[in-house]
Amino acid sequence: MDPFVLLGLSRRPLLSDEEIGSAYRKLAGESHPDQSGGDAGRFRELGEAAAILHDPARRLRQLSGSSSGSLLPPEAAQLFPRIATILQQADNLIEKQVATSNPLAKALLLAPLKNLSADLDSTLNQLQEWRILLDQELAEIDVRWPEHDPNPISLLADSYAYANRWESQLRERRLAMESLSG
Amino acid sequence: MIAGIDLGTTNSLIGVYESGFPTLLADSEGRRLIPSVVFYPENGTPVVGSEGLRMQALHPERSVSSVKRLIGRRFGEEETKKLNGPTGTHVTLPINGQNLTPEQVSAEILKKLKAVAEERLGTAVDRAVITVPAYFNDAQRAATRRAGELAGFVVDRILSEPTAAALAYGLDRLQENSKVAVYDFGGGTFDLSILRLDNGVFQVLSTHGDTSLGGDDLDEAIAGLLLRDARITTLTPEMKVRLKEASRAAKELLSNEESTIVRLPFMEGSKSLEIPLARAQIESACEPIIARTRAHCLRALEDAGLKAEELDQIILVGGSTRMPLVQRLAAEIFGKQPNLSQHPDEAVALGAVLQGAILEGSLQNVALLDVTPLSLGIETFGGLMNVIIPRNTTIPAKAGEMFTNAVAGQSGMKIIVLQGERELAGDNWSLGSFEILFPPSPKGTARVGVQFSIDADGILQVLARDTATGSEKIVEIQSAVEVSDEAVEAMLSGSLEHAFEDMDARIFTEARLKAEEMLPAVKAALEQIGSELPESEILEIRERSSEVQAALESKETVRLKQALAALDNATQTLATRLLEKAMG
Repeated sequence: MDPFVLLGLSRRPLLSDEEIGSAYRKLAGESHPDQSGGDAGRFRELGEAAAILHDPARRLRQLSGSSSGSLLPPEAAQLFPRIATILQQADNLIEKQVATSNPLAKALLLAPLKNLSADLDSTLNQLQEWRILLDQELAEIDVRWPEHDPNPISLLADSYAYANRWESQLRERRLAMESLSG
Repeated sequence: MIAGIDLGTTNSLIGVYESGFPTLLADSEGRRLIPSVVFYPENGTPVVGSEGLRMQALHPERSVSSVKRLIGRRFGEEETKKLNGPTGTHVTLPINGQNLTPEQVSAEILKKLKAVAEERLGTAVDRAVITVPAYFNDAQRAATRRAGELAGFVVDRILSEPTAAALAYGLDRLQENSKVAVYDFGGGTFDLSILRLDNGVFQVLSTHGDTSLGGDDLDEAIAGLLLRDARITTLTPEMKVRLKEASRAAKELLSNEESTIVRLPFMEGSKSLEIPLARAQIESACEPIIARTRAHCLRALEDAGLKAEELDQIILVGGSTRMPLVQRLAAEIFGKQPNLSQHPDEAVALGAVLQGAILEGSLQNVALLDVTPLSLGIETFGGLMNVIIPRNTTIPAKAGEMFTNAVAGQSGMKIIVLQGERELAGDNWSLGSFEILFPPSPKGTARVGVQFSIDADGILQVLARDTATGSEKIVEIQSAVEVSDEAVEAMLSGSLEHAFEDMDARIFTEARLKAEEMLPAVKAALEQIGSELPESEILEIRERSSEVQAALESKETVRLKQALAALDNATQTLATRLLEKAMG
């Protein structure tokens, strides 16, 4: 079933997390199997619908009816080498730091960890700048909605998918590094 | 009537929903907190609660405390390192010549709670909601459920503790719309859950924790402090129990006082101990343990997609949150003063009672949307974990997978079910395995649908669906016990003498690995900042390094260990300087 319809939301590109979450909580609270008149099937469908709509990439694909494209968005192609390198460096350093039990050897690793942490932060900033551009594009599409051209929507969906995935991968490494040094 | 039970590591509580209010029930002596200690007399029924606690001091070998830390565990896990048993099999405890499971011991505690409630209410109490740490895995939840059934309860729900505490907190704030974190630091476990409260709906956004991190560990750290000054030659089990009790008492006292004197009369023979202890001392011993909660808090925030400053309240529950240091660290992690409005010992039990009332229908317009704490997946061909239901998915949840035959005529396929967050299958907890059967057919044409569902208790059920008939069948998961032949043989043949030889070889290997790590590190550190150290210090470090090198070549374990300790000592300033330099 259509996730927009299921959650009683209008079919448009721009929906805030707050709107989606609030609609989900109201309906899921009523249909939770613990409630009298609850319905486990509907409860699950609502959860799946909310997960789709919270993710801009999946939400846009839902609207455009397209699946993920075959072209790498140009900004993603540009960012990819830097992100791949930094992820690999982080994994290496984290692995080394975890394997070391000796305080002196651990202290030696701190300086490279700190440098990498700065690199991670600046890459994350870059990703966030890209995301701001994506959000602007999304808002522009929303203004013209329902008039739209499927190609840019599909490209935007792909861009969001890359941005989300990379951001979560980078944040994951930063969290791992923070808990190592903290 | 559905009772609500907080089955705690240190203490347990039971309550019911009476005329519109949750009420916790007290035993005949007026105590609501029942110590989770079980004493097994040689003959007769087990003794639970404060009486059990008293007997434990006299007969530690026939008493069990903190059994919650063992429930659903297998030998070989970190938590069970003090116990002996074949790696990979379910933990049992040898008491009076019997091997008791943790479920059986927990069932005794639950029976006691049931008796307390029945005596107070004058009616049978045979349904219950039992709480568990949010980060309990499938095996720990299922074992807790079995314990409830062994005690004669119909277990209506296994509920996560921080979720229960949030319910207790939110009950008189049902109109509110807020984001809260529940920092639940109990006797044996730590959980951090982030929830959204929205007009009677309690939605858990994320949860993270450690089921081997609690007040018990703080007591042990304090016991270590006391022992350091005590000069005791041999520590008997009785002395251990007394020392731990004294540590706990000192910890509790020092939450309100600045200093105390720990008195242990006739600790060893006629020797009595009187050890002065200051709050600052126990704080520095406990700080590294409490600091471990930080990583879980950051992880939960990350998974909830929130920043600390977006939270409206940090609710503290669990006995360990009485410690001023815990409150300070929580405030520091989240950047705001924590909310201490909830009773640290009682909030979870009250929440369990409320969940019982929701299930009965006597509490309406309140719903709990809880999550599964750990990702559920299966092992793929290359030994990797393929996630099927990601962590923090709202439960009950379901996900289906289709399996097909890779070669013609393949009769079946073994599926290993995993729980955890690691990429490599072997690093995760294995729930067990099951076999799917294919009808004889050409490659890629046999298809069997398997449905993984996590129920509202957070417990997994697997259904296999015959795609032709649409009929579903519950798949029995075989426990993942795989004891290697080597391990069994070693256990059977290992005479004491061999054990000592082995031990020496192992200690030498450990020391050798340490030396091999240490020597290049010292060299690199000296190259980096050696010029900043006084000549005499460098000389000493060089000497100590050569001694380690010589000891390594001599293959003498004791000599190597001593040399390493000396080098460690000599390089302390060096390590500190490096740290300072890195921190800028």
